[in-house]
Amino acid sequence: MPRMRFTFAALLVAVFALAAAGCLHSDSEDEGGGGSDTAAQEDTGTGAGGAGGEGEVLAAVKERGNVVCGVNEAVPGFGVATEAGEFEGFDIDYCRAIAAAVLGDAEAVEFTPLTAEQRFTALQSGEIDVLVRNTTYTASRDGAEGARFLHTTYYDGQGMMVKSDSEFQELADLGGATICVLSGTTTELNLETVFQAQGIEYTPLTFEEADPLQAAFIEGRCDAWTSDLSQLAGIRSAWPEAQGGPEGLRLFEDVLSKEPLGPAVRDGDDDWADAVNWAIFATIQAEEFEITQDNLDEMLESDNPDIQRLLGQPVEGEPFDAGLGLDADFVVNVIRAVGNYGEIYDRNVGEGSALGLERGLNALWTDGGLQYAPPFR
Amino acid sequence: MRGGGARRRPALLRSVSAATPTVQARPPLWRNVRVLRWAFQAVFLLGVALFLLYLWGNLTGNLERLGIRTDFRYLRQPAGFAIPDSDFRSSQNVFQALLVGAKNTATVAFLGILLATLLGVIVGVARLSTNWLVRRTAALYVESLRNVPVLIIIIFWWAGILLRLPPLDEGSDVFGVLSISNRGLVLPSLERTSGIGVFLVALALTAAAAAAVAVWRTRRFDATGEPHRRVLWAGGVLLVGLTLAFLASGRPLGLSLPEQSQFSTAGGFRFNPEFAALLIALVLYTASHIAEIVRGSILAVSSGQSEAASALGLSGFQRLRYVVLPQAFRISVPPVGNQYLNLTKNSSLGIAIGYYEMTRVTGISISQGGPAPQAILVLMLFYLCFSLFIALVTGLINRRLEIKAR
Repeated sequence: MPRMRFTFAALLVAVFALAAAGCLHSDSEDEGGGGSDTAAQEDTGTGAGGAGGEGEVLAAVKERGNVVCGVNEAVPGFGVATEAGEFEGFDIDYCRAIAAAVLGDAEAVEFTPLTAEQRFTALQSGEIDVLVRNTTYTASRDGAEGARFLHTTYYDGQGMMVKSDSEFQELADLGGATICVLSGTTTELNLETVFQAQGIEYTPLTFEEADPLQAAFIEGRCDAWTSDLSQLAGIRSAWPEAQGGPEGLRLFEDVLSKEPLGPAVRDGDDDWADAVNWAIFATIQAEEFEITQDNLDEMLESDNPDIQRLLGQPVEGEPFDAGLGLDADFVVNVIRAVGNYGEIYDRNVGEGSALGLERGLNALWTDGGLQYAPPFR
Repeated sequence: MRGGGARRRPALLRSVSAATPTVQARPPLWRNVRVLRWAFQAVFLLGVALFLLYLWGNLTGNLERLGIRTDFRYLRQPAGFAIPDSDFRSSQNVFQALLVGAKNTATVAFLGILLATLLGVIVGVARLSTNWLVRRTAALYVESLRNVPVLIIIIFWWAGILLRLPPLDEGSDVFGVLSISNRGLVLPSLERTSGIGVFLVALALTAAAAAAVAVWRTRRFDATGEPHRRVLWAGGVLLVGLTLAFLASGRPLGLSLPEQSQFSTAGGFRFNPEFAALLIALVLYTASHIAEIVRGSILAVSSGQSEAASALGLSGFQRLRYVVLPQAFRISVPPVGNQYLNLTKNSSLGIAIGYYEMTRVTGISISQGGPAPQAILVLMLFYLCFSLFIALVTGLINRRLEIKAR
């Protein structure tokens, strides 16, 4: 009947107008404004956390009793899974340091291996609490991707690696070459920027994971491999003997970019960010005071008030509590678990490891490097 | 008797309704089944709309709380990454990168559909051959490829075959014409040297002349019954015309042969291994499905047709070509259209081997800072457009062919 159809049509139009109005309303909001009304009402599971943050992640971590850490499982020296299924590396040790600081137990960590493409989505969605995965600190990651970067644990640069028997010595030789690179990294973007700036033509070949990339590089599908210098050193140290071992690869002298690598948490929880940040600073400050895993017990008896404060020893009364939401002696837990910055460095990427990298920019500021911790007071 | 003005109820009903004055013509609104149906549907629609609104509000609210954009502005940002084998510059925006990806998907889909149909029809018909060897080989091909997941076939072709080809410097030239290596297959291509405009005009004229000749031959056949051989005539005209046009316009097209240089081959038309592996794997896989559909649709044509054709004295090939296949074609259009859609969507598996089709470009844009929900939504819309287009074309064909009596 015409009248029924008209009524129904009018109803439909009204419903869709409502829906459209709701959509447009949400879309046109600025970052600062809230979502639609429904968002505010239904936002139940996220607590009262707004832009200021009220420690929801810190509280959740303490309640859960472990830290979920996003890591790499394919970079020797930084994050690699051993045959036994254990994780070891520079970033892994920092995950343990964070767990030791927040929970007092360095083993209370759940490692989540992630590819470069997955890592920021995992961080944004709350699947992981902290991302310690040789991730470069950049503006767009700080901003649009909603990450909050903490103190840089490793100042790196981007390099280029070829087989020893190839005749290329420097970047300019690579005109027309095919270059393998991991996708989802700043490496991919820097490669494009640097080569475009120098006017060198090349063909990129990107992979999500290091294994197929390595296979393609070995097969000769690409002529060069670009990545962070520390990653290249790690790969080189583990290069199979069948391909010539570490001597079968050569690194160029050129450094293509700045790559400050450090842990990241997501925006919105300042307490958690501060706690993680100071767990990192604890290791650097400990190296400055020359506190190591070996002499920790002696240092606990030290007369130096700065050391006493750092190690949470009572100085005439209450031990110093910086209000970070951590135990007073969290530094002791950290050092006992993983040692100071220098020990972590040596064990994983430095003299005491297969990579043998020099401290370079990662030395303490007192030795001319960039590692400088704010005062603990 | 019956007036054209106001309608009066027939006499019988009038007397009935006079006897039972409580019968109403229309029940009240709240008991009227028709009204209730519309009302429930409207309420349901309202509920769905509100639910979607809630989901949308929840998503945008959470994203804004995390400081992640909820708009589509990222599409205008410079991409920053390069796409191999294309003219894409990293300073162009993300949307243009997506378009390059869409072009790559369309290339794979289009070529894949063409080749898979060709191969599928051949294998499907072969499977019904009277020759035992042909039949068994076709059956082996179909059964083995139908039962393996596409992704595995793709990876096998890429890692197991194409990457194992000799590297570029180890003499990959084949008679100086082709170049086959693990960097790809390079075929000779045509390149423009000069005077291409004249040649194209001459080409158009030749094509028109060939069409005119075909029509003339058909008319002669209709009039006198002599075999028209219009394909031969038209082909001949085309050939002669093309040669004349080519020579007359000063040889505007040259052959570009692959020349080996240090890293790559310059010149020629290149198929990189990722594209080749994806195309070959998709064609083989989809052709095995199409072969089964073709076989089924041939068997669905009633055997009476084949028997009648044999009784009329048609040879095996003529029986297939003029009686069976045209009927089988009608039956096979919907399922084969379905396989085309599958092939288009399966092209997204190219991400496993690093082929820069749409899904890969979207993945890279997300990993380089684009907001994931919007990017995936845009990707789904792209695939929807592809699929709707293919469905439209097959739907049109289907409607042209279907038997109206049903």
